[in-house]
Amino acid sequence: MNGYNFAYLDEQTKRMIRRALLKAVAIPGYQVPFGGREMPMPYGWGTGGMQLTASILGADDVLKVIDQGADDTTNAVSIRAFFERVAGVETTTATAAADVIQTRHRIPETPLEPGQILVFQVPIPEPLRFIEPSEQETRLMHALEEYGVMHVKLYEDIARYGHIATTYAYPVKVDGRYVTDPSPIPKFDNPKLHMSDALMLFGAGREKRLYAIPPHTRVESLDFEDHPFEIQAWDEHCALCGSDHSFLDEVITDDVGSRMFVCSDTDYCLLRRGEVA
Amino acid sequence: MLWPAFNDPVHDSQRLFRQLLQAMAEPGTLEMPRAPEPPREASIGPALWGALLTLCDLDTPLWIASELDSPALREALRFHTGCPITEDSAAAEFALLTSNSLAQGIDFSIGSDAYPNRSITLLIALEHLEASGPWQLSGPGIADRRHLDIGEADGLMARLGANRASFPRGMDAILTCNDRLVAIPRSTRVERTDQEVRPCMSP
Repeated sequence: MNGYNFAYLDEQTKRMIRRALLKAVAIPGYQVPFGGREMPMPYGWGTGGMQLTASILGADDVLKVIDQGADDTTNAVSIRAFFERVAGVETTTATAAADVIQTRHRIPETPLEPGQILVFQVPIPEPLRFIEPSEQETRLMHALEEYGVMHVKLYEDIARYGHIATTYAYPVKVDGRYVTDPSPIPKFDNPKLHMSDALMLFGAGREKRLYAIPPHTRVESLDFEDHPFEIQAWDEHCALCGSDHSFLDEVITDDVGSRMFVCSDTDYCLLRRGEVA
Repeated sequence: MLWPAFNDPVHDSQRLFRQLLQAMAEPGTLEMPRAPEPPREASIGPALWGALLTLCDLDTPLWIASELDSPALREALRFHTGCPITEDSAAAEFALLTSNSLAQGIDFSIGSDAYPNRSITLLIALEHLEASGPWQLSGPGIADRRHLDIGEADGLMARLGANRASFPRGMDAILTCNDRLVAIPRSTRVERTDQEVRPCMSP
């Protein structure tokens, strides 16, 4: 595309983000501040993830973009089209065919492979933010490894509801050190963060923070001995592919209460249906 | 003679960065970047020169150890990257050095507990670098363990091993030998395996 550098960002911005990414990988789970740039879309639409993708993307890479697991929703379609336009890269919807996958709020059901990079869009990178609004305080809490308050929050869930009611953006501890927000993925996806084969990068555009979980890294979801971490389960199967083990979305089909459950990962669902048919 | 740089700065530096990212994400794996070859008399090889071209710019003060320093290198860095070259090692973001330089007790920034990212990245020129040998690496990015042989550089490995004690503060290292590079971030546990390690429990 004329008038723009490859992948939209200028080279100096890419270098700044690249240096921050190397530090982020070296300190797993720690939020590195970076000079976030304005992107041609509003905050909250994945500007953080896009800046990371733009900084790592190469002309030979195949890019996949998902939004809540789906390749065909507004956010995914527009970000995919953006990089087709400003980087001219090949895009795909197949998880296994992608080198870089930018995601909003899901990890694909198909296991990721070594060498793949998953880029998360993060709205609020600080897991302690809803407990402590001051950035200065949360930074000190991370420095001192002062995470007791996070367990208090989970305990309050148990006191009120009888179980841990946090279902997405469920806090994790990375390599036994930093408590980290895995972005608003359902807690169903948390186990996929642990000892993943793929590198996972997280970018928050409004908050101008990026962080990383390298492959083969211990990632524990916070819990209690008597209230161990559990993922969601459904009584239903996917109405389209019959899967009994993937994350399901409930879809309302009319105005008299009919509903169906379908895989949130559209590529995985299509793949299964291709095999089934 | 002017040193050669990337033919295609945008795509060559992107490709090299991905190799650096891969090296940092999987410590102990050898990467063989395709990078321009500095002149024969230069003190650094293509992997290190490529890393400098990829990472350094106006924002990154660079410190150069005396054994690698030369007017030609400074000229090349100034022309191709524009990075400021500093005498103040504690203020540097990158340091260009050999395995012996660290033994001289140079003061590098290892960041603070609140901002551990404000720390040095060491770019090290080695005589020898093999992906097997006495040094055992484990930790994030390493499924089980990996091994390295970096020749006579016990002081360097001892310093990188000490990173675990100050974590999350620490220094990250990119080790290069001619056209090969390997990364040892501060999260990596470094041990020597050819000698018995007896943990001492008494004070």
